[in-house]
Amino acid sequence: MRIKRLIIGSGKAVAVTALLLWSLLPIAFIVMSSFKPGREIFAVPPHYIFTPTLDHFTTLWTRWGVFFDGLVNSTIITAGATALAVIASTAAGYAYSRNSSRFLDSSVLFLIVVRLIPPIVVTLPLFPIVNALNLNDTHVVLMVLYATFFVSLGTVLMRTFIDQIPRELDEAAQIDGAGRWTILRRVIVPLAAPGILAVAVFVVVFAWNEFLFAFIFTATKAKTAPLVISEMIGSIDGVDWGVLFAASTLQLAPVLLFVIFMNRYLVAGMTAGATKG
Amino acid sequence: MNDRSAFTFTRRGFLGTTVGGAAALAANPTWAAGKTLNVLSHKVHQTVLGTDAGDLMAAWKSANDADISFTTFDSNPLQDRLFREASLTDTDYGVGYIIDNRPTSDIASLFEPLNDLAVSDPIEDFDDIAHGLVQGMTVDGNLIGIPVRHATQGLFYNEALLEEAGIAAPPTTLEELVEQCNKLTFTSKSGTPVTGMILASDLALFPVMFARAFGGDFITKDFQLVPDPAAMEKGLDVLRGMFESGALPRSYATTKNDDQVTWLQQGRAAFTVLPFARFAQLNNPEQSNFPGKIKAIAFPGSATLAADKPMASIVEAWAMVIPKNAKDKALAWSYIKEVSSKRVTLGMALNGNGPVRVSSYADPALITKNPLAEVEAQVLANARGAFPPFPEAARAQATMLEEVQLAVIGRKTVKDAVASIIERVTPMMPA
Repeated sequence: MRIKRLIIGSGKAVAVTALLLWSLLPIAFIVMSSFKPGREIFAVPPHYIFTPTLDHFTTLWTRWGVFFDGLVNSTIITAGATALAVIASTAAGYAYSRNSSRFLDSSVLFLIVVRLIPPIVVTLPLFPIVNALNLNDTHVVLMVLYATFFVSLGTVLMRTFIDQIPRELDEAAQIDGAGRWTILRRVIVPLAAPGILAVAVFVVVFAWNEFLFAFIFTATKAKTAPLVISEMIGSIDGVDWGVLFAASTLQLAPVLLFVIFMNRYLVAGMTAGATKG
Repeated sequence: MNDRSAFTFTRRGFLGTTVGGAAALAANPTWAAGKTLNVLSHKVHQTVLGTDAGDLMAAWKSANDADISFTTFDSNPLQDRLFREASLTDTDYGVGYIIDNRPTSDIASLFEPLNDLAVSDPIEDFDDIAHGLVQGMTVDGNLIGIPVRHATQGLFYNEALLEEAGIAAPPTTLEELVEQCNKLTFTSKSGTPVTGMILASDLALFPVMFARAFGGDFITKDFQLVPDPAAMEKGLDVLRGMFESGALPRSYATTKNDDQVTWLQQGRAAFTVLPFARFAQLNNPEQSNFPGKIKAIAFPGSATLAADKPMASIVEAWAMVIPKNAKDKALAWSYIKEVSSKRVTLGMALNGNGPVRVSSYADPALITKNPLAEVEAQVLANARGAFPPFPEAARAQATMLEEVQLAVIGRKTVKDAVASIIERVTPMMPA
């Protein structure tokens, strides 16, 4: 029995280690390479011990100033898209949770189906429309698009969260004279905060890294950081790998820290309603 | 008592600020130059024009009271965006940069024919611009773009590795190249395993170069598909032989263009084929283990290649176009004229651009700065594109590469692969 437990424990440890290596190695390679002298990045055999340098970050600052503008744009767009998606998802999730009709129930299915459409399908026909509305190369267009693509998933998530909040609390508030809007703000939102944060995590990760919409709908004023990184990769006069890895590290760090910080909410979001009887 | 300063924010104040701010922005205030020319390009096109004190367009900006706003993308996304912008009712972009293998008849029709402008308001010494490049930008009799940059392929070699293997001089024929590649597939003194040559497997230009070394081709300018199958077979036979002997890496099928650069810089490969413009990067002491030791020559043809048929290397060129729906075409043409001038062409060449003017190569400053200028000029004289533009070009290239890879790694005979290329690509050819 003891041996069996030992074998199972070792197996789990090996599996977890392999999984960690699989997911962390590329990140470690990028971060380490951003501090390595250029000649050592692709050295064979690899140099694990090296004198760290900030040269690549300095070069990034001097030669690719547009990358930092991109980071600012990414931040503005991510914040706007997250706020929009969270507000819309919470309101919609509340409506779905507290109301029931044949139309509402079938529209939930529609919400999920919308997520199955590849973004490219809607992107190209949207280009002339966005252009005609003079919204091309604005932060607003990306905020709206990112939020739109996440409202469906966010709504389903929020409905699951709000379903867990007893309806008696709504009724008690109603007896005290609260309207729907007050109930949502004062009762539902504080209790559904973990769900709201989970939705926010999903939107932040998506909006921060998104490439396709940003590529189609921006040019200079709202250009995001992933677009600038793609330019570095596609440089026709040669890729400066050190600078590219420095940019990738700066692009990765904020969202990685955010996800680590919000990890428990993310897990809560993904398991919401899992044990509902 | 609260002693913190209070910030009062009235509804009237908020509305006033919002309306005032919106009105100010709607008035489209002018902060600097009177006009702005929006240019859609690759980052490199912006970089070679210089900045601050080295800004090659400073005089033009001042004379036209105009500023230049670049929107930059990677090559393929750039072409995609350019064509999309040119398809709209109108566009803010005055000038776009196009690659010479893209303008089919349909695409060319999106851009302003420049023949009349070139006559009424001519570019300085237009005949000095390489004729082959100008021809590549002439579609259905219309000149739609003015060449601005070229990347011509050369054979790069690591001189230190050649010396270590006892090879006195780089090859002069393809047969010598193969022999040297085999000799240079060894473990160097530093303990690094070296392969003779590294080539990306996802670019058509390499098999096309090997076919041309025997006088063959993939698709000619007049749309003949594999005009000499035997020459194509010989070219692929060489590649296959190199793979079998280990002179091409075992990872050939997954090798990319950037691997060619890093392998040569690290001393993991002795030869590769890259644009001459990569010389500076390959010898950059911050990236390369062999600064100053990586040199380049013309890619050699086979000893069997007829003397009157020189080896035609591959050149890819960029040109400047004006979308038909651009708003200020006069300003756009003025920019193109300035960028095409002798002064700016040379200035860009000194900043690393492949100059499209023959005269630039004779300039002492360029010769001093770029030791490959002379050989590059010679190669450019006979170079041509990998294949001409046509609607199904991308699919034809992918099909050809699929067959080449199967032949090189030995999953198909070379003869069958060439036959398959002809059979599968024929339906894709323009009528």
